[in-house]
Amino acid sequence: MYLVEDFYKNYEQELGLRIIAGQLGLNRVIRKPEAQRPGLSLSGYIPHFVKNRVMVIGRTEMGYLRDMEKDLRKMRLKNILSNQTPAVIIGKGHRPVRELTAICKDMEIPLFLSHTSATELMAKLTFVLEEKFSPSVMMHGTLVEVFGIGVLIQGESSIGKSEAALGLIERGHRLISDDVVKVYKKESAYLVGYGPDLTRHLMEIRGIGIINVAHLYGAVCVRPDKALDIVVKLEKWDDCHFYDRVGLEEKFCDILGISIPFNVLPVKPGRDVMLLIETIALNHRLKHMGYHSAKEFNAKLLQAISKRQPRASIHEMRQES
Amino acid sequence: MKCVKRVKIKNDLGIHTRPATAIVKLLQNFRAKVAFTYKKDTINARSIMGILMLAAQKNCFITITAEGEDAKEVVQALASAFEKKFGETP
Repeated sequence: MYLVEDFYKNYEQELGLRIIAGQLGLNRVIRKPEAQRPGLSLSGYIPHFVKNRVMVIGRTEMGYLRDMEKDLRKMRLKNILSNQTPAVIIGKGHRPVRELTAICKDMEIPLFLSHTSATELMAKLTFVLEEKFSPSVMMHGTLVEVFGIGVLIQGESSIGKSEAALGLIERGHRLISDDVVKVYKKESAYLVGYGPDLTRHLMEIRGIGIINVAHLYGAVCVRPDKALDIVVKLEKWDDCHFYDRVGLEEKFCDILGISIPFNVLPVKPGRDVMLLIETIALNHRLKHMGYHSAKEFNAKLLQAISKRQPRASIHEMRQES
Repeated sequence: MKCVKRVKIKNDLGIHTRPATAIVKLLQNFRAKVAFTYKKDTINARSIMGILMLAAQKNCFITITAEGEDAKEVVQALASAFEKKFGETP
């Protein structure tokens, strides 16, 4: 549930909001991640009008309203304002017509003035509401930024996620959140992870207790949020399991409908987990730049083999591959 | 096996550091996967930071979900710990 009150608190500064009527309606719920300019509906055409969007009024609407007869103005405004309207925001440099203030006061619809122009308001509102309404999930794991890549370290309790993260921080990488990561979908295209306010930049290390990374290592070692690029799962080394030796096949996992590269990293004494995570991150970067080590090598190998074989068998091999 | 139970927080200060430690310590003796759900947030109950993040208050409810062979026992043990206010004197 997203209340108008929370919205007001969060964006009062950024959008320069000032409430002028309908304070009692601040507990209204914003149910749709959309904003709209009333535009045509002020002319009396309201068949496709959506009532529960945040309403933004700009110069055009205000000018049109001012040109109307007083009674008509009141009627048209009553047409579009209802109990479902979460809030009305007026763009930069405009004063509300008297009827609008009166109706908002009467129906307890929060009415805001803003120092942002109506066009800009629409863009910003779409953006912030979309973000607020995007699907999110709480994940067990530690999110670190390694060489600019957001790496979510997962694995069972006491496998050494926090220790790995601490080691990475010591090497100059950054912590976003330890143990609990909130992940949400941004612009329905990619994932962003951040830590809950209360435990932000805190870490729990067995045998030491809770430490504050931002205070211990400085502000350079933390960041508030980060796009999630890869997932690394730490696992106890299992001699019977066959681990990826070549890296030709890429694995993915699904988070909120987005597939994210997924690596299983077996842990055993003598394996430097920090170094391995760094390598995975760098390799991911390299792949993004168009170079896939394993594939490149495989292509080279195929070429080398084909040179050594008579022509007939090359054909066979190509068919096979 | 899966076992779900809703429990009420009875101690005055809610789930602060000491009860959280008690929960994690209690879970060490069990093997089941345990999750707590509080106000739409679900976390792994073996993670201290997870439990602390919930900042669960007195008289609110937590849903315990356990999965594994000893799920039933784990839920029982947790429920009685909640009931006993984690050994805190009122």
